[in-house]
Amino acid sequence: MSRKLLETDGVEWVRKGIISPEQHAQLLALYPAEQRAIGLLPLLGSLLIGLSALSVVAANWQEMPELMRLGLLLGSLTGAYAAAEYFLRRQYEALGMGLVGLGLILFGASIVLTSQMYQLIGYDLTGLLAWAVVGILLTWLYRSQFVFLLTVVIGGIVQGYNTGQLGVFSYFTAALTAGGLGYYWWRRPDSLLGGVLATGLLWQAALLINHLHIKITWFFVPAMLIYAAGDWQTDRPAGRALQGPPLVAAFLFTLGLALFGETDTYAGELRPPLLAYLAALGVVLALSLWGKRARGRLSSATDWLLLLPGFYLPGGLPLAVATLVVLYAYSGSVLARAHHEHNPDRVTLGTALFILTTAVAYFKLTWGFMDKSLFFLLGGLLLLGLWWVLRRRATQTFSVKAPD
Amino acid sequence: MPTSPELSSSNAATPAATTLPTPAPLPQVQESRRRQGVRWLVVAQVLFVLAVAAAGYATAAFGRTITLRSTPVDPRDLLYGDYLNLNYSISQIPGHLWRGPGRPRRKQAVYVVLESRQGNYEAVGVYPQEPTVPANQVVLRGWVADAFRRSIRLRYGFERYYVPEDTGRKLKPKQSLRVQVSIAPWGQARIKQVDVLPTSSTSPTTP
Repeated sequence: MSRKLLETDGVEWVRKGIISPEQHAQLLALYPAEQRAIGLLPLLGSLLIGLSALSVVAANWQEMPELMRLGLLLGSLTGAYAAAEYFLRRQYEALGMGLVGLGLILFGASIVLTSQMYQLIGYDLTGLLAWAVVGILLTWLYRSQFVFLLTVVIGGIVQGYNTGQLGVFSYFTAALTAGGLGYYWWRRPDSLLGGVLATGLLWQAALLINHLHIKITWFFVPAMLIYAAGDWQTDRPAGRALQGPPLVAAFLFTLGLALFGETDTYAGELRPPLLAYLAALGVVLALSLWGKRARGRLSSATDWLLLLPGFYLPGGLPLAVATLVVLYAYSGSVLARAHHEHNPDRVTLGTALFILTTAVAYFKLTWGFMDKSLFFLLGGLLLLGLWWVLRRRATQTFSVKAPD
Repeated sequence: MPTSPELSSSNAATPAATTLPTPAPLPQVQESRRRQGVRWLVVAQVLFVLAVAAAGYATAAFGRTITLRSTPVDPRDLLYGDYLNLNYSISQIPGHLWRGPGRPRRKQAVYVVLESRQGNYEAVGVYPQEPTVPANQVVLRGWVADAFRRSIRLRYGFERYYVPEDTGRKLKPKQSLRVQVSIAPWGQARIKQVDVLPTSSTSPTTP
């Protein structure tokens, strides 16, 4: 419960006699007002002053002597960290961590601007790799969510630069992000960090697949490895959050297969060597199932339905239909589990997936031979009906749950 | 009766999870230790940036200098007037110089062997792996920007030359430039000097 709610509605509760004024005071004491570290106005003011200084520097950058430019970069870098420590010591947590983040960004900017100043071309990765390393070390030193998120983004930028500009994929950067930040998340499970970390790692996996010029379906081997790590996490919400992005990717891919899989050329683009692909995915599946068993969550094994390699089927309508069956089975399993768990959020998610699948199936199977207006009318009625049934089911579930 | 995964995880986990590596909560870093760690980390960052600057000086001092022919691309169309886009004679090379199997791929890293022709270095071969070359040749790293049937367009990373404001506007579109590039033994490269060739009266610009 938030203090704000207590402050606004509490008076009403006292008036209605639900709680006494003393109880209201006691409740308020339970939620002490957060120390507003710094008002918004001074923050905005200093931001504007900072921006003006930045634009003065940017406008005169090329005219400044090299040593002065270097001095400015290093001065603002150390200044940001020093200011961060100053404010952290005075308990201004948010401001302090913001300044640490600024220091980290300035470090990256210093590397880039210094190389540019000397017209220097580096052919190896050390330059920007150092940026990611510093980000990870800062995350561990400050145990800060904000620096963690920043470092995930930096890892993605460094890898994007490697593959885009240098034409190489840095396995070291990928391992460092997965290991350094992954282990941090493992020890300090957190939903937000899990979701963002998984997204960052998927981005790097996608860059790798693109760099290697191999079939895009190989993407799901590293993606599901991330998923499997979520199975081993003891903290359930954090594990689910890590598994979200890989599942979204797998669902969208399967949806795409249902929509476009009919042309054999598209399906052909997706077929990696059968044995190698199935063996690799099988190993990941085994790891995932082992984790699920160890943590007592075998019921979530239905997630793997999305990974059924339907693209090996000959193209054409059979492939589209088989894929739709898989999509229905998956969204149905999400709904069933959500009802079991009495989890309203997941019921909503399952409903959305179910309706999306139905929309795709309807579009796929009827567009060709139905008059357009009839098509939309029936489609709309179908979705409305489906929505009504699913809502009813959800309401029943939660009304049963309500008494206890 | 089926139980929810949340419940069963906390119940069923007990027999199995005790043998598994269950993470212990991670404590905060002690403040004094953190401050010391941050101090070292900041020093390391400053040293790293200084090392980048030092590499710039060292490349110019110890590198082998070669001269390349180049023309500016659209010198008047400068966004802020602070850099020139350079098009080198070795940016576009004939396809028959490719010495690798198959055709070069876009974004592929390549090694370009250069040889002096009347004072300027021109490409004599493009390799997918680093070749060993005689003393009169140099190897330059580059990337395939585009591979056509008869030619390959290459990118070297020093196509952008940062100049003081207005210098760019004094140049004519097809003005010939002579660019001196230093290549360090450890592989870094930098533009050392850009000269406008004597067909025009514009003064030379140095970095």
